[in-house]
Amino acid sequence: MTKLTRRALLGTMGAAAAASALPTMPAFAADRSIRHYWWGNPERDKRTFAVIDTFQKKNAGIKVSGETIGWGDYWTKMATQTAGRNMADLVQMDYRFLFEYVNRGALKPLDEFAGKSLMIADFDKGPLDGGRVDGKLYALNIGSNSQVMVHNTRAFQEAGIDADLINWTWDDFAKVCEKITSKSGGKMKGSDDLSLMIETFESWVRQNGREFYGPDGKVTATVGDVTGWWQMWADLRKAGVVRDKNKTVILDPPIAESGVAVGDTAMSHYWSNQLVGIQAVSKDKIGAAMVPHKAGGKPGQFIKPSMFLSLSRDAKDTEAAIAYMNAWVNDPEITGILGLERGIPCSPKVRAALAPKLTEVEKLSVDYFTAIQSKVGPLPLPAPKGAGEVRDAFMRIGTDVVLGKVEVAKAAGTFIEDAQAIIERAQ
Amino acid sequence: MRRFFARNAPAYVFLLPWLIGFFLLALGPILASLYLSFTRYDMVSAPRWIGWGNYEYMFTRDRRFWKALEVTFTYVALAVPARLIMALGVAMLLDKGLRTIGLYRAIFYLPSLLGASIAIAILWRQLFAADGVVNQVLAMVGIQGASWITDPDTSLYTLVVLAMWQFGSPMLIFLAGLRGIPRDLYEAAEIDGTPGWRQFTRITLPLLAPVIFFNLVLQTIDSFKTFSSAFIISNGTGAPADSLLFYTVYLFNEAFKFFRMGYASALAWFLLVIIATFTAIAFFTSKYWVHYENERD
Repeated sequence: MTKLTRRALLGTMGAAAAASALPTMPAFAADRSIRHYWWGNPERDKRTFAVIDTFQKKNAGIKVSGETIGWGDYWTKMATQTAGRNMADLVQMDYRFLFEYVNRGALKPLDEFAGKSLMIADFDKGPLDGGRVDGKLYALNIGSNSQVMVHNTRAFQEAGIDADLINWTWDDFAKVCEKITSKSGGKMKGSDDLSLMIETFESWVRQNGREFYGPDGKVTATVGDVTGWWQMWADLRKAGVVRDKNKTVILDPPIAESGVAVGDTAMSHYWSNQLVGIQAVSKDKIGAAMVPHKAGGKPGQFIKPSMFLSLSRDAKDTEAAIAYMNAWVNDPEITGILGLERGIPCSPKVRAALAPKLTEVEKLSVDYFTAIQSKVGPLPLPAPKGAGEVRDAFMRIGTDVVLGKVEVAKAAGTFIEDAQAIIERAQ
Repeated sequence: MRRFFARNAPAYVFLLPWLIGFFLLALGPILASLYLSFTRYDMVSAPRWIGWGNYEYMFTRDRRFWKALEVTFTYVALAVPARLIMALGVAMLLDKGLRTIGLYRAIFYLPSLLGASIAIAILWRQLFAADGVVNQVLAMVGIQGASWITDPDTSLYTLVVLAMWQFGSPMLIFLAGLRGIPRDLYEAAEIDGTPGWRQFTRITLPLLAPVIFFNLVLQTIDSFKTFSSAFIISNGTGAPADSLLFYTVYLFNEAFKFFRMGYASALAWFLLVIIATFTAIAFFTSKYWVHYENERD
């Protein structure tokens, strides 16, 4: 569904007027054009449009039009464009959705360009392989991230917390929550309540020695995993050391409303590339801690590609699209503009070039990344079709648990049952 | 035939824009969705015929479908009467023949114009938030408010209140209806010493029945289709805990979030059946309670 906007209309009229006024002018610019579509935020959009300008300056003859929208509506628009065979040439892709789009045949593999027009030979192999499905590279990593417990360093100092924030356990976490809450007289709680965060729960399952989804895409997390998770948070709620339940059940709130940003709590859960964004909306200096470990358990956290660039099935001028893609991950000027906003780049050269110019919070994210390298587990397989819906079910059923309307064990059983049914139906 | 044209041609000329729109823009998609409702269609690969599969799943296995029906029916049962009573009440107040009546009509109609908009839904979410205006006002008079929107027990009622507040268009229609009731009936009742309440039940209500009927049908259809306010207030998901899972919100999610266009089409056709059934019931029962003044029976 294309909507004719006023701007588009004026643009067309303007172009038509220009065309009729200058009939003899040779067509020199915009001979070739590509479209780039991404989900963003104001900061990301600013940087991306600057990249587009730079690329166009260096490549006269290729016109890039950028299309951006927030995460919430991104996939809806993408689905419609995919159905209408009108996808942008280059689309930003997410690890959770990659499998789904490849399976639908909406993306083209990049292997034939590698080493010719797409120079990726010296990239870190692990992060790069995150974009492979069935052995073929369908998505180019444009940044890696991992989970992070963002915390308020002032509150931690005032409460005299000396825990090792990389190696700590859930017991340590509970103690920290208590200390912070009692130190502030209950004004600042220890942490956001992560009951509804399936991303953190997935780490919890891995700490128990399982993946959430098995190799065949079936749900392998157990009722026991879910019960353990929801019970732990129920206990913390009862102790009054985590955020108010009515705030917890607001789903996917913007960064600025997280506990740390508002000052309600001393810890929130985020992705490491968001550190820059959270610092921007927080009064106090933030720090980065790992998701707590299970005492004697397996590593739960992992490093994943935060975003990809993918070539869509509808791309016509693939040569221009690949040239743009290549500049994105290699051109020093362009990678300089992008910085770490989309995550840690997987080109060692680019990282080395960025190192001397990092801001304080960017340095925090690089240091954090280095510190966790040996503490994380392997990257799980891409989520199967239906994973997005399972996430919704987790939040939906979890809401009843958080509000105390359903028993934990019963809700856990319902969730696993629902999750299995969703995955089965989606195949 | 000729006489038919002579009599009705102007009407069809005026209907033309709508007819063109219907045949060119609406009819195709409507038929396509009927076809798609019998297929599995993920919007990328070609639709695959599965017969009654979608409908079977809907009725036998889909728990959220029943939840969506429950939420929607509860809403319709509460919101339609609430809005109509509100509309009639305000219309009767305005019928007193104030000099600035035009102004009041416009003011009271305003919420209906705004009501369907995104901004009002967002405003509503703020008003009823845990630390929103409503709770602050309640706190001033010493009442501990609830978290209206995030509690599944109360979230639906905030939408009923929103619906009540959007009484503008039925109110205007009621007002026109009230104006049409001959004044001498009230005068006669007054002379006979009939109390106000009986004047209302014996004169106003019966004579207003056709207008009430009209409003009832329109508002019922409208309420079944409630979408934007529920979508915005529940963040598009029907949250908290599916308490705002309106039928249309569920349908939208199935279609555009989970790529089940075929299933969503089946849902849409079932909604049509529901609305048609309710409208039919209203029409069939109307002969027992709606009397038209110029009817000769």
